[in-house]
Amino acid sequence: MAEPSSSFKPVKPKLKPKPRTPKQTPESKYWSSFKTHQIPNLISSVTSINFSPTTPHPFAATYSTSLTLFSPQTLSPSSTISSFSDVVSSASFRCDGLLIAASDLSGLIKVFDVKTRTPLRKLRSHTRPVRFVKYPVHDKLHLVSGGDDALVKYWDVATETPILELQGHKDYVRSGDFSPVSHELCVTGSYDHTVKLWDVRVADSKSVMEVNHGKPVEDVIFLPSGGLVATAGGNTVKIWDLIGGGRMVFSMESHTKTVTSICVGRAGKVSGEEGRENRVLSVGLDGYMKVFDYGRMKITHSMRFPAPLMSIGFSPDCGMRVIGSSNGVLYVGKKKTKEENVESGVRSFWSLGQEERRVMRPSYFRYFQRGQGEKPKEGDYVVMRPKKLKLAEHDKLLKKFRHKEALVSVLDGKNPENVVAVMEELVARRKLFKCVENLNNEELGLLLMFLHKYTTVPRYSSLLMGLTKKVLEMRIEDIRGSEALKDQIRNLKRSVEEEIRIQHSLQEIQGIISPLLRIAGRR
Amino acid sequence: MKTGGKSYVSSPPAFSNDGKRLLVCTGNTVSIFSTSTGLQIASLEGHTAPVTSVIVVPASSPASKILCCCWTASLDGSIRHWDFSVPDLMKKVDIKMPIFSMVIPSLLVQPVENDEKPSDLFAYLSVEDTIEQENRPKASRGQIRKCNLTASRLIGGLILKETPTPEFVAVSSVGKFIGIRNKRKLHIWMVPEKDSGRSVSKKIALHHTKNLTVLAFHPSKRIVAAGDVTGRILVWRGFGYQTFSVSDELVSGRLVDKEEERPGVRGNDDADSCSTWHWHSAEVNVLFFSSDGAYLYSGGKEGVLVVWQLDTGKKKFLPRIGSPLLYYTDSPDPTLSSISCADNQIHILKMPSMEILNSISGIKLPHSLPGIYEGLYSGFAFDYSSGLVALCTENYGIQFYSLFNDRGIYEVQVCERNHQPADEITVVVTFVALSQDGSMMSTVEAKLPEEGIGGLVCLKFWALGSENKKFSLSTVIYEPHRDAGISAVAFHPTRNVAVSSSYGGDFKLWVCNDEIQEKGLMLQNSGWACLAVGAYKKKPMTAAAFSCDGSVLAVAAETVITLWDPNKNVLVAVIGETLTPIVTLSFAGNSEYLVSVSRGSKPQLSIWSMSKLSLSWSYKLHIEAVACAVNLSSFAVLALLPESSICMESEPSFQGRDGIILVFNAMDPVPVSTWSVKKAKGGGVAFLQGYTSSLKQNNSDGNAQQELLVYINSDREYILFDPYGNEANELGMSQQDGLVEFEETEKFGYASIYGELPKLNLTRNQTSLVPSVPSERPWESIFSGSSHNLPPLTKVCSAFLESLMEKRTAVVE
Repeated sequence: MAEPSSSFKPVKPKLKPKPRTPKQTPESKYWSSFKTHQIPNLISSVTSINFSPTTPHPFAATYSTSLTLFSPQTLSPSSTISSFSDVVSSASFRCDGLLIAASDLSGLIKVFDVKTRTPLRKLRSHTRPVRFVKYPVHDKLHLVSGGDDALVKYWDVATETPILELQGHKDYVRSGDFSPVSHELCVTGSYDHTVKLWDVRVADSKSVMEVNHGKPVEDVIFLPSGGLVATAGGNTVKIWDLIGGGRMVFSMESHTKTVTSICVGRAGKVSGEEGRENRVLSVGLDGYMKVFDYGRMKITHSMRFPAPLMSIGFSPDCGMRVIGSSNGVLYVGKKKTKEENVESGVRSFWSLGQEERRVMRPSYFRYFQRGQGEKPKEGDYVVMRPKKLKLAEHDKLLKKFRHKEALVSVLDGKNPENVVAVMEELVARRKLFKCVENLNNEELGLLLMFLHKYTTVPRYSSLLMGLTKKVLEMRIEDIRGSEALKDQIRNLKRSVEEEIRIQHSLQEIQGIISPLLRIAGRR
Repeated sequence: MKTGGKSYVSSPPAFSNDGKRLLVCTGNTVSIFSTSTGLQIASLEGHTAPVTSVIVVPASSPASKILCCCWTASLDGSIRHWDFSVPDLMKKVDIKMPIFSMVIPSLLVQPVENDEKPSDLFAYLSVEDTIEQENRPKASRGQIRKCNLTASRLIGGLILKETPTPEFVAVSSVGKFIGIRNKRKLHIWMVPEKDSGRSVSKKIALHHTKNLTVLAFHPSKRIVAAGDVTGRILVWRGFGYQTFSVSDELVSGRLVDKEEERPGVRGNDDADSCSTWHWHSAEVNVLFFSSDGAYLYSGGKEGVLVVWQLDTGKKKFLPRIGSPLLYYTDSPDPTLSSISCADNQIHILKMPSMEILNSISGIKLPHSLPGIYEGLYSGFAFDYSSGLVALCTENYGIQFYSLFNDRGIYEVQVCERNHQPADEITVVVTFVALSQDGSMMSTVEAKLPEEGIGGLVCLKFWALGSENKKFSLSTVIYEPHRDAGISAVAFHPTRNVAVSSSYGGDFKLWVCNDEIQEKGLMLQNSGWACLAVGAYKKKPMTAAAFSCDGSVLAVAAETVITLWDPNKNVLVAVIGETLTPIVTLSFAGNSEYLVSVSRGSKPQLSIWSMSKLSLSWSYKLHIEAVACAVNLSSFAVLALLPESSICMESEPSFQGRDGIILVFNAMDPVPVSTWSVKKAKGGGVAFLQGYTSSLKQNNSDGNAQQELLVYINSDREYILFDPYGNEANELGMSQQDGLVEFEETEKFGYASIYGELPKLNLTRNQTSLVPSVPSERPWESIFSGSSHNLPPLTKVCSAFLESLMEKRTAVVE
């Protein structure tokens, strides 16, 4: 039988109630591990965010009449294109990241060289504002765009001519996306509540498939498998199964205002690439970003921002998440990258010259510590040193029955839980009042300060209120004699009055609610 | 029938000569424990009253170390000589006086020459004089006498000393001196070297101003140490040089009788000096010199073993033993010694380092409870299926004690706090309850307030671990009913639901929600949470019980019983009422009857019918405990006999018995059977599931599902018996049934290396062979059959020889 009694047991504070659901799942930990940086002072709302498909994945944000490229390392604008006549609505990188297409509300689509910022092509055919422009995933020659003229156009970029005009939408076309598996399939969403799937090989300009979202569609994306489509409109994000004939898989209704933009993000372990799972990230005018796990049909994380959000982008290397708000602020969430590796590599390169180790001599201090940090090898039998029980200062004093010193030392520390635990232990030893009696003025001041701070905290009040009363009774003479202590008492009085006021108002509320509950209970 | 739960610390234990066994006085028997495992090996049975001394005959030469002889003395007035390896009674000396202590100094003297004829063996006894009790009621009752063990008689007329009460006799380790303490004096005799019957040894007295409690002799020098009630240790050096001086070895210069040369010695006491050490804050109970004489061990109520360096007075400590120390015993093996603690534990110490190697844990004794918790405290709960009893211990723990094996299994620390045995009790585990399948436990602990602040009641739920079979903490609930105390906790028989009732006027239903997270990574998060709260007219809720199927919850609101539906938390009915508050509620098995017990000035045992919602029948009895059989409609109660009847009835059958166990059928107010018991106040009864393997009597019946009744008395001694069997109705705790387990603790040879050989083979052969041999010559057919089926010859041999022997006896008959 083990003998538990021979070791000293330190005092322990009372346990706190655990929340029924764990506060942080690993996934929400992952999402909150993105360190948020703000890029303020963009003029007006950020209409779209697009990441370059090539490393190091710079991203383009469109706002007002300009398009800015940001470098992912420094998060500073690397170049700005502002040769637009109207508000830029959308931008899209080509698959090799060399060209970028941008559309503006004048109906013009421009294609720029990313490096030189020179406009290479101007695609002019839309008569009304263009709302989106998109390069296919693996096709370098074509573009798709849609706009307020309810037309979706398929462009040949080199010749600046629309190959196809896809008619069918009855209202503004707001968004569209190419399938990740085929460069001939694209999907568009419109304010006429429908999402249409187009095949650019079919020349009769009829949509292949059509689903009804039920609300004006703000954004539509293909999910990475190519078989599923996510649409955003109204307060809902819906997942559709295209292969299954346009069946709705799930409708996520957790935003309280219109969902403005969605994108695909990937969650999982940082290291293993295969461990990552795809999520739908959605932002809305309610200022929330939600992470939706469409495999389990569950919201796994949700994050609040101080402004209505307009657009979201997620970098292909999972290192960055950028959200644009309606007041021109970019919220960039950046994951810590392992730059240390690179640096250490550099250092080893530079330190090549000093490779030979210095011979240890007894003149160094390290000489006497050599070999102590040695790790045990596989076959070694490790003899563990018996673990030393670490005792806090107050525990050591309690062990020696020096009760007053223990109380003073724990009052010096800043942890109220420990103070209450020590007080409870002193109660159990019938020594608390003796301690209070023996405190000198300075220590009494310490105690009074503690009481002032924590007497009204509900967790401790049951013990501390009684104690406060007793302390005042016992030490009234000393308190009268010292100005500092009088100040403490004044503070204490104030906090007690505050608490009484809170209690009164709570009772009033209870008085209002309880008849209602009674009535509700009767039914 | 099986008894157990004896005190291991009623008198000092003794080590065997090889240090591998420890002889412990346990009631009327001496139990022999292995020091390496702490398990019981054998027991010496024969005394008819508690054994008070056990003395192992020391080995005079290394060859005789295997000799296992001991002398025991008992309150039944007999001294017995045993060979405890067998175990076998060799000699019995009857002196017809209760012996409280015995020493045999001549055993300790090393024999100088062997050619001399061995002299008689003399024992010095501390006996109680029972004969003259009537004539002189105030006279001294304790006597120190001498007994010739070789001649088996008390030396008549020789009374060394009379003391008010029988005293413990101490002897020096070489057998030169014996001594006793007597109030504020020590009396020391020198044992004559050639001890003969009539020789009156010389005596000195040493005086002190406080009552002395214990004394010890130095192994080689003339030093005696004594402890007093205030915690002081007095060390007299050079005592008795004047009185005990033998003429031819007179030491000159020692006889100088000057006051200033004898510091600390009082009056004309015969000692050179007396020094005082004071560390203990209370009475010193243990004093012992180490065998080399360099150290003095002392211990007392604080539960700290102090080692004093005799020359310098420097101290070393073994703190936090957790209970007052009673005895310190050292062994012939210098690395082993034992300390006996008041909580019925014997710790085996590894000596120079003073580590606790092993503990022989007896059943923990009940402890006193302060104030409000006094009356309603049972302090134990029984595990129906595994035959364990869970006992609240003084050091804020729960001890699990196996009733079938009569040993402590393990302890659970309920409250993480350092226990100081000498302090006032301020934290106490007031209640323990086990669920019916034994997988859940709940404990209630109370911290008593200091001048009205800092009180705390804490309800804890524990879950049985699946692999180590130990309880681990699941949920802690601080102040479950505000600051009111909890009167009862009961578990639902089938579901993970419990109820706790409080004096604050409400009861709460707790439910255990096992949340298994979807991912395998997440730990199983299970906890108890409050499901419902109920109250009845703001009356204090004093008891609670679930019915057998769990469909009804009965909660006693002082004098009435409220019946609730635990699923909907709806009051179903109120029945009552009794004259005084109900303290215990229990459903009688699977029947429709509810048993309630109320105590106080008008005690009552009432049986309520659930179908009629009315009183069925009742008795005016003071009931101490109720136990209900699980599957039958019978129940057992432990009733205290009214004091008047104890006094009036001077029948021999009732002497010392203050309680009675009654087994009722719930339908019938006439008890099925009754037993009278001793020390019933504070005792308990319970039904347990019978184990055929552990009780041989049941084995013969072949009735596996038999229920046993266990009675545990206020000293936590218990008896297990079959309430329906036709055994004798006499059930005193003095009865002994020869059912002590013999456990072979050490394996030898092959078994020690490779473990036990499977015995399956042998038994199968026996069963298949014996019934298939109707003929009178079974040895003929025992080797029949093909050779590959035949077990090895070594195994068949015993069966073969057995069959031959059976034949012989048959012929004789």
